[in-house]
Amino acid sequence: MIDEPGPWGTGPFTLVQGASSITTRNVIMTATPYAAAWLIESEQRTPELVLEANRRHWNAAIRGPRIERAVFRNALSPSEALDLCLTTDGEVDIVTEVSPADAARVVASEYADLVTIQANRVLTCIINRGAGDVPLSNVDVRRALNLAVDRQRIIAEGLAGYATPLSALTSPWCSGFPAGAAPYDHDPAKARALWESAGWPAGRPLRVATPEPFAGVAQLVASDLRRSLGIAVDIIVVPDEALPAGARALIEKKLPAPWDLLVHAWFDLSSEAPPAAVHREFFGTDGAFRAGPPDQGFDALYDEMKVQLDGARLVEVAERIDAYCFDQALAVYLCAPQALYAVNKHVSFGPYRTTFEIAEVTVNEQHWSRTGGGRTVTARADSGQPTPKESKPGFSGAAGNAC
Amino acid sequence: MTNALAPPPVGTINIVDPSPLNWLFITWNTMEEPIRIDEDGRAVMALAEDAEWLDDKTLELRLRRGVSFQDGEPFSAHNIKQNFDEMQRWAAPHPPGTWLNFPPESEAEVVDDHTLRFHFPGPDGLALGKMRGFHIASTAFWSGPDAPGFGYKKFGSGEGHW
Repeated sequence: MIDEPGPWGTGPFTLVQGASSITTRNVIMTATPYAAAWLIESEQRTPELVLEANRRHWNAAIRGPRIERAVFRNALSPSEALDLCLTTDGEVDIVTEVSPADAARVVASEYADLVTIQANRVLTCIINRGAGDVPLSNVDVRRALNLAVDRQRIIAEGLAGYATPLSALTSPWCSGFPAGAAPYDHDPAKARALWESAGWPAGRPLRVATPEPFAGVAQLVASDLRRSLGIAVDIIVVPDEALPAGARALIEKKLPAPWDLLVHAWFDLSSEAPPAAVHREFFGTDGAFRAGPPDQGFDALYDEMKVQLDGARLVEVAERIDAYCFDQALAVYLCAPQALYAVNKHVSFGPYRTTFEIAEVTVNEQHWSRTGGGRTVTARADSGQPTPKESKPGFSGAAGNAC
Repeated sequence: MTNALAPPPVGTINIVDPSPLNWLFITWNTMEEPIRIDEDGRAVMALAEDAEWLDDKTLELRLRRGVSFQDGEPFSAHNIKQNFDEMQRWAAPHPPGTWLNFPPESEAEVVDDHTLRFHFPGPDGLALGKMRGFHIASTAFWSGPDAPGFGYKKFGSGEGHW
């Protein structure tokens, strides 16, 4: 990360004012071999951060930059920013990480459009395969959990339809998606039969933990599990102040987790080999989110994949990894949430599946910056704190831990 | 299409990005790597023009010519080596974790100003993809008492701040 402005790179923009940085804490999984991830403990963003076009960029003709300047208004909360974007010109042109709960407002705006993309993101429930008092190490129990949830209902009611159901952890548009793969059916009868044969202890509720932004999704999952399996389900909403310790415990894997399922979002920064950044993180020996013992079948496949220098062979192993994770029901697979943006109607913005890139952004002749309009107020004092989290489903509320 | 024909940048936009990865997106809009990821999530060449495995332990990058840092310094294989050597100082330079590391025995060899070879202790099918997180900064970023490095000036260390 870059802690202060300067002409440090070759990229399409130069950081000329402000900075966006994080303070991290190293969380060690194993000392030998050394395996660790970093928890983001705090963000430091200046009230305004300004990027200016690098007019000498080597790829300016094909890619950009097409705008002279981009101002990141970090002192605005997401809700303030969305209000300004939807009701004014000249204040906020792009708001990222719009919650599906706000999508209809964006669509109805006369100032902004809703821009969406099927992003490389997954929403899943981690299964605590290491729980000592319940049979979550039993594959039939894990399959029962997958058969018990109604993904279409969760997407429709929890994410306003802005998601794609997943069979495992690879999205259909990524390399390594097994041909013909389909999500587990919603089959309560089959789920109940598998569940009842596995010996879940009578009277022991299933414990579903969730960060606050996904509490609504957790409620939908829990209601499906109650209805399909005939069990009691407790929901544990983890308050913001408890998230760092919970995340650290999950990564270090010394303390027993107090939950059976954890609603968890994650992402991939490419479409090329999802098991490297996604499957490994959830199930691999050095996976930050692995809950339970290492899975020898998974690790053998991953070890086979990571040494493939031929791209086609690597993808073939990646497909087998995703199929294995489906077959073993290593998590409760839910969906791939879309990334949603509110974008001023005079701005052309093409979203990426993985990142937020602005080299290709253009503005038309009616845009406030070309007609002499725009805001005159200056930024607020720097609070030194990250922008507030909001209790709506959305990726900005997902923990950025381990990245 | 040459850069001389590129349309001039025009206009200003205001952005609010609540993403917890904003620090990374600012880096990616200002710095580049041997490869980048396009809008579909596919790896495409950026500061490298081509990559080839010479054997199962040696990856050769042929680098783009005519690229300059924003301070005017011409980009060359020496910049890649400098940034690689800085990164290799640390046990866990990347916020996502050690899985992005190159093994400590890895070395970068400058063949000429626009050719670089990485020597790894074994085959690494993920090596080129990992280079999406291998940000290439100018010499001035690293050198001198006020150079920010990745975390050096602020934290005294680049560990965990690449």
